Amino acid sequence: MLGIPTVLITVEPEESEQARPPRALCPRGFIAGHSLGKPGDVGLQKQIIMDALGLLLGPARPGEVIGRDYT
Amino acid sequence: MSEAPLELSRYAIPYTPFRATLEEATIALVTTASVRQKDDRPFNVEGDNSYRVIAGSKSTAELTYDDEHYDHACVDRDLNCVFPIDRLAELAREGRIGAVAEKHFSMGFCQALRELRSTTVPAIAREVERVRPSAVVLTGG
Repeated sequence: MLGIPTVLITVEPEESEQARPPRALCPRGFIAGHSLGKPGDVGLQKQIIMDALGLLLGPARPGEVIGRDYT
Repeated sequence: MSEAPLELSRYAIPYTPFRATLEEATIALVTTASVRQKDDRPFNVEGDNSYRVIAGSKSTAELTYDDEHYDHACVDRDLNCVFPIDRLAELAREGRIGAVAEKHFSMGFCQALRELRSTTVPAIAREVERVRPSAVVLTGG
């Protein structure tokens, strides 16, 4: 049976690395409760989602948490 | 089919290749941010190994959260900060993703890791398998 691809958005990259995620995006500097950024910031939230989904298309980097700056 | 949880090596990374395009992909959300539909029963904020199903047709206006462990400054105004279901709906309307999955899942705060691994997570995995989205976006809160 084939699995289902996943991508994690994490604000705790060190902890997440220990779980060996297949794909993970870390919006740098964001804290728990704010994974997708700011309230009502539609553009930023969509950007983060599309960047996370973009990891599905890019080269496989299993176990790596990819940090990105959004501020 | 065996009902035992899949046991992976401690060093294995469970990786499934993505072979579609985002424009045709159905996306599901799974979160540990204690999100639920307003008409669903609350999570126990002190520890709860249950999970909730969130219908893909819901907007964040129909959702709430039960939490005392992460900063709420964002989610009190916009639950998309941890559970971006409105954003997924917009992306689907814009054609940037194919569709929002019919079901999404949320876990609550739980430190009973053994129970999570043996019971909760396999149950969610089975439900996600039934939904069979193209991909799952996971958020921790």
